[in-house]
Amino acid sequence: MGNLKLVQLAENGKRTKIKVGSVMIGEGLVIVGGPCGVESEKQTLKTAEAVKTGGGMMFRGGAFKPRTSPYDFQGLGLEGLKLLARARENTGLPIVTEVIDPRDVSWVCEFADILQIGARNMQNFSLLREVGKTGKPVLLKRGMYSTLKEWLNCAEYILAEGNPNVILCERGIRTFETYTRNTLDLSMVPAVKELTHLPIFIDPSHGTGKLSLIEKMSLAAVAAGADGLLLEVHCNPSEAKSDADQQLTPDQFAALVKKITKLSRFMDEKLFKTSIITGGDQI
Amino acid sequence: MKLNEVRQNIDLIDSKILKLLNDRMEQGLLAKRFKEQIEDSAREQEVLEQVNNNPNALIESEFSESIYKLIFAFSKKLQARELCLTGFQGEHGAYSEEAVRHYNREYVTIPCTTFNEVFEGVNSGLYDFGIVPVENTLGGNVGPVNELLINTDLRIIGAIDMPVHHSLLTAPGTDYREIREVYSHSQALSQCRCFLSRNNLTPIPYYDTAGAAKMLAETKPRGAACIASKLAAELYNLEVIKERVEDLGSNRTRFLLLAKSNQECESSKCSIVFTTEHKAGALFGVLRLFAEAGINLTRIESIPNEPGDYSYFIDFDGSNKEQVVLDTLDKVEKQTTGLKILGFYDEKKVEG
Repeated sequence: MGNLKLVQLAENGKRTKIKVGSVMIGEGLVIVGGPCGVESEKQTLKTAEAVKTGGGMMFRGGAFKPRTSPYDFQGLGLEGLKLLARARENTGLPIVTEVIDPRDVSWVCEFADILQIGARNMQNFSLLREVGKTGKPVLLKRGMYSTLKEWLNCAEYILAEGNPNVILCERGIRTFETYTRNTLDLSMVPAVKELTHLPIFIDPSHGTGKLSLIEKMSLAAVAAGADGLLLEVHCNPSEAKSDADQQLTPDQFAALVKKITKLSRFMDEKLFKTSIITGGDQI
Repeated sequence: MKLNEVRQNIDLIDSKILKLLNDRMEQGLLAKRFKEQIEDSAREQEVLEQVNNNPNALIESEFSESIYKLIFAFSKKLQARELCLTGFQGEHGAYSEEAVRHYNREYVTIPCTTFNEVFEGVNSGLYDFGIVPVENTLGGNVGPVNELLINTDLRIIGAIDMPVHHSLLTAPGTDYREIREVYSHSQALSQCRCFLSRNNLTPIPYYDTAGAAKMLAETKPRGAACIASKLAAELYNLEVIKERVEDLGSNRTRFLLLAKSNQECESSKCSIVFTTEHKAGALFGVLRLFAEAGINLTRIESIPNEPGDYSYFIDFDGSNKEQVVLDTLDKVEKQTTGLKILGFYDEKKVEG
């Protein structure tokens, strides 16, 4: 696996826990909900309220959108960050938001609680170094063409700058399958757990790109041992400016959280906490 | 140039026109303080002549004359109302002005360049009141104000203890990523030191927070921002990049309202300043009087007069209706050399 001296799991098996507001990541399942993009004041505040009522523990939303086409909605920028801060003021939910430009890092830190590095920026090393200098928790998404080794090396970049608060997030990779938007690689959950001490989240919304598949893949992620889920929720998905086909309605979100929480409690049983078969690759 | 750019310019000019009209009305109110009566047709004629002789190509005299007649009428209407003028140091949008609004929204605030100007204006009767900051939780005491309190004969008639929230402001259209330098009063800059260093911003001291906002709006230096109140953002048409950039959540400033003479009002606090003889236990002797009377002291400050010779400020809880307070002050007078009672007044605490 190369030189992963900071990321790899130590002999003592100690795992990273990250406190964000009143939420402890790495200790029980963390559900993050919110729209793909921050589009307007009404949409943001309304969705944040719905995420809170539905049982979400953190709010996500993009103010800077790295889009496939330069003509697509690029996000509200600073205005979006201010709206996210307002949503936190109203709901008390910590804010997860993506940063795509090293020049924005300190400013996003002023408004957000967790910095997200998107899949398209996973190997943007100057950006990784910049977020590594901040000390703010970083949610590092797996690049859509990246191997586990490349992904963990990117986490190593952040830790090497002195920021130990890294959360990995699997969001699906490119395969020859076309039915789903991406192929959600759930095997990464136990793989990351046996190799590293870092928490891992799953993003079934991008991972499948299909509303009908999100529920089952969320449950599967919890069964696999994920530390958190990133779910796209929009107060009115049909009007969303991006990812309209994969955003849950507030009702769907609330119902899903109920199911997930129940399974999560079941999985907390000691029987499921330990593996029957061990002996993975050494890093 | 596009239509929206032209419109941006128009908006900017309109906000300047309104600001200048406000400044002109203020001067009218000040002029009234020197006049026997409001009406002065000779002066009006003089102004109209100056206005009609202006070299601006598009402004015809018929137009300017009609505008100025409206200005005269409104100015005289304002002068007819017995408005209370309150001097403050700084430009409009300064925190001192916000403090006045918390005290009484009806008071008209007049900007002064220096604290000295505030004190002199109140003393000469140009202003009814003056407002000055006296201490801040992060920045400490405001030295020049304490000196002026010793050296002039103004009375404290009220105090306002107010939270101070700073905002980072820029001229509209400035990219926040290009901000390098931040202008503000040195006190405000010191209250936001961590914020500035986190974002790699260079602090540049300026004479006043709102003055920095005004300068930004007028000269639009590249890559510059200022730290001032949200009120300043509204007044000078600036964009709020971030609110509450102060490092400490509980950043408060205490302001004193000054007048030429004591006012009959409910009081719960008293401020005094005194000097003592240079002998062992002199200051202790004074403090003991308050302790024995069970009077709670809320501020003690010593200000050097000459090396080794100090004036002491003491604020305490107490009213001029309480006999024990009056008796204690009698005793204090005997124990000190030069006691000055700065005033009995009520202190207003603003939450938030």
